[in-house]
Amino acid sequence: MPSFSMKLPQIIISTFLILLILLAYLLQMDLLVLFNESLVKLVMNGVLVLSLIPMLNAGAGMNFGLPVGIVGGLIGMCIAVNYRMTGFYGFFMSLFFSLLICIFLGWIYGLILNLVKGREEIAGTFIGFSFIPLMNYFWTLVPFTNRQMLYPIGGQGLRPKINLELYFYNILDHLWLVKIGGIEIPLGLLAFFGLLCLFLYLFFRTKLGRATAAVGENEAFARLSGLNVANIRLLAIILSTIIAGVGICVYTQSYGFIQLYDEPLSMAYPAISAILIGGSTGKRTFIFEAVLGTYLLQTMYLLTVPIANEILVPELTEILRTFITYSIILYALLIRDKRRSSR
Amino acid sequence: MTKLLEIKNLNKSYDGIPALNDVNLSIAPGQIHGLVGANGSGKSTLMNILFGSPVIHETGGYQGDIFFQGQRISLLNCAEAIAKGIGMVHQEFALIPDMTIGENIKLGRENTYHLTDRLFGRKYSLINRSQDYQSAAPVLQRMGINLELGIKILNLSTNIKQFVEIAREIARSDLQLLLLDEPTAVLNQSDAHKLMEILTEMAAAGIGILFVSHRLEEIQHICDTVTVLRDGKKVSQYEKADITINSLARDMIGHLVSKANAKKREPMLQPVITFHNFSVKMPGEEIKDLNLNIFEGEILGLTSLSGHGKLALGYGMMGLYPAAGMVTYENAGLSKMEARSNILKGMYVLPDDRQDLGILPEHSLEDNIIFTGNQIKNMFARNPAWGFLGFIDRKKAKQHVSQMIDDFDIKCSSSKQRVRELSGGNQQKVCLARALTVNPRLLFVAEPTRGIDISAKEKILQMLIDINRSVKTTIVIASSELDELKRVCDRIAIIVEGKLFKVLSPDSSDLEFGLALSGEEGAACAEL
Repeated sequence: MPSFSMKLPQIIISTFLILLILLAYLLQMDLLVLFNESLVKLVMNGVLVLSLIPMLNAGAGMNFGLPVGIVGGLIGMCIAVNYRMTGFYGFFMSLFFSLLICIFLGWIYGLILNLVKGREEIAGTFIGFSFIPLMNYFWTLVPFTNRQMLYPIGGQGLRPKINLELYFYNILDHLWLVKIGGIEIPLGLLAFFGLLCLFLYLFFRTKLGRATAAVGENEAFARLSGLNVANIRLLAIILSTIIAGVGICVYTQSYGFIQLYDEPLSMAYPAISAILIGGSTGKRTFIFEAVLGTYLLQTMYLLTVPIANEILVPELTEILRTFITYSIILYALLIRDKRRSSR
Repeated sequence: MTKLLEIKNLNKSYDGIPALNDVNLSIAPGQIHGLVGANGSGKSTLMNILFGSPVIHETGGYQGDIFFQGQRISLLNCAEAIAKGIGMVHQEFALIPDMTIGENIKLGRENTYHLTDRLFGRKYSLINRSQDYQSAAPVLQRMGINLELGIKILNLSTNIKQFVEIAREIARSDLQLLLLDEPTAVLNQSDAHKLMEILTEMAAAGIGILFVSHRLEEIQHICDTVTVLRDGKKVSQYEKADITINSLARDMIGHLVSKANAKKREPMLQPVITFHNFSVKMPGEEIKDLNLNIFEGEILGLTSLSGHGKLALGYGMMGLYPAAGMVTYENAGLSKMEARSNILKGMYVLPDDRQDLGILPEHSLEDNIIFTGNQIKNMFARNPAWGFLGFIDRKKAKQHVSQMIDDFDIKCSSSKQRVRELSGGNQQKVCLARALTVNPRLLFVAEPTRGIDISAKEKILQMLIDINRSVKTTIVIASSELDELKRVCDRIAIIVEGKLFKVLSPDSSDLEFGLALSGEEGAACAEL
């Protein structure tokens, strides 16, 4: 087990969180409802955060190119919706399609990242930036036929928001929903998340997983020990992309709408922010850190909305969120570079 | 005689763990004061205090008094130390890789144009580069280095970098006290000698020198006074006439070191590997057209001046650098130099650069030791048929690792301790344990004793001898420590400019080795 001690970002967020809970209590908000929602938010965003881990552990940095995997998942879901697959069938077919697409996208993404070793983060950012406009053409031109996905007028090109009400909206959220008094525990959703965590945990215990961690920690050592560094990195990047695809499917079934076009672009930052709050330093990261970080960040987001609405101008919520997300990334970059230079 | 530096009752601790305990020390102008001690004895801490490293201040400062030229000083940062005339040559280089030799030497003391001085002030003035180079060149020449000053630091070999670092300090006209933290650790013997001469000259000019080194011969050779530290305490102090290597070594570790020595034996004749026109393009250590037989069961020493290629052989075999030529291993030609296949064929390489190539610092001892065996040979697999998705048999691994820890006497809190936390000597033992786990038939070891304190050094050499004698592993040791090679090896191959120059018996005289290393035939001597 990793030894765990509170670091500055966690202290700040936790203090802020406690303050918010206190405020919420004073404003007589329903804390139980907020707690229920926080569990859903954890899994909704948690899978995307988990997807960062294989790349971090392989030494490929924080996956600022998360939109690549997200797009893979979106295409997967669109295919399922186009063929009117509903319920669990629809959801799992979405996962299956996105798996296939993400393997392909991740492979290309990985090949590119292997060329820019050491600068993956900045390269990933711009791969994301350039990939999204390309996909915007795809969304407008793709010959899907389900009218519920297309622009109502003209009947061509996908809508920016596709309603999942009739397909697999809340399919995991409402699975095995256990109610104890006012508390609602989405057991199915948590179990799905738990299985993914377990999968990742086990992966890093396998020979391949251990090789991945070694490549991330000391690449020259790995090469001298006879490992094929390029292939291992490629595999880790593909794995990250696949989990990101799964992540967006989980997110979307909770959210209720498939969000296309420019939406995936901004999704990398809260995920990275969350894993940094959890204690990752941009190197080897533990699953526990991802889960903790997601819960802290998402619960804080969750609480700021009603509280800010109550006591401040409503617009301030969004500003606060953005500010916190980006400043945490900045902070992490700062302390990392300080550590590097002090070595 | 007025003292240049006087330290009284110096105490320093990190988080309650004492690093220095009531240390007293003084240096007069023109004196070379040696400082020896095993790893972790407090040498570096002392140096850091004297040079005003921020680390000291950040960890709570120190207790005690330091007088420099009669005044009590308390340095908060390195700039203050430099302003007072204290210079330091670091163990890890403090050079700017992207700047040229000349720029590095003159850094902070650049010659500038008067006109721009007046216009913008000294700080923003244009640098007069040619004048800089002119004034820097004689310093380098004094050290016997003839290099273009416009070459960037990153293109230099390690030993030249060390000289540039020293040149930077020598070039200062205001230098009063020079601190040297193991300046010879990365130098070979002839370069180290050169450095000794320069230091003696500087001392003669009235500069006080505090000299830290693991090489006791050097200490004995040039120091006027030696202080021995052990566990942060001053154990003893010797004047020039009384310095003996044995007493220094005894004081350092508290008991006498028995030196590793291999018994002489009949020469082996059955080649296990034959290199024919073998070349490795390792920058700064290139091998060109090497022809060499390595015999089954022997310990072969491989030595050369730095930059002549002794390190490249093993790395070339593992495909770390492009290699060409013909290699016959166990009567079959080797087609490709690739780590995985060659490890499977029974070869293994222990690198000279432990931190960068030899260990997984954040992983546990256990993970480090079983790593190659598990990855390449699928040892310790719980279910071997699962292949790359297989888990580790923790019980089997733990058993093996505890055995290794006992056998090699690795000092650690448990097999789960991170390797980063171990000392250099113990890290090297971990590397050796990892090599032994794959049970190689041919083991290449590069600089096995570099940066390791004296008692651990002998243990590692003894381990190499034991491995060779007990499991009949053929060992090739690439090292610049001629004295160690002579005690351990059956034959010593001398490489000059990437080619095999001569193979000498370990009994050969120092003169023969000296001549061979510098590429002189000296055939007459050999015949006598």
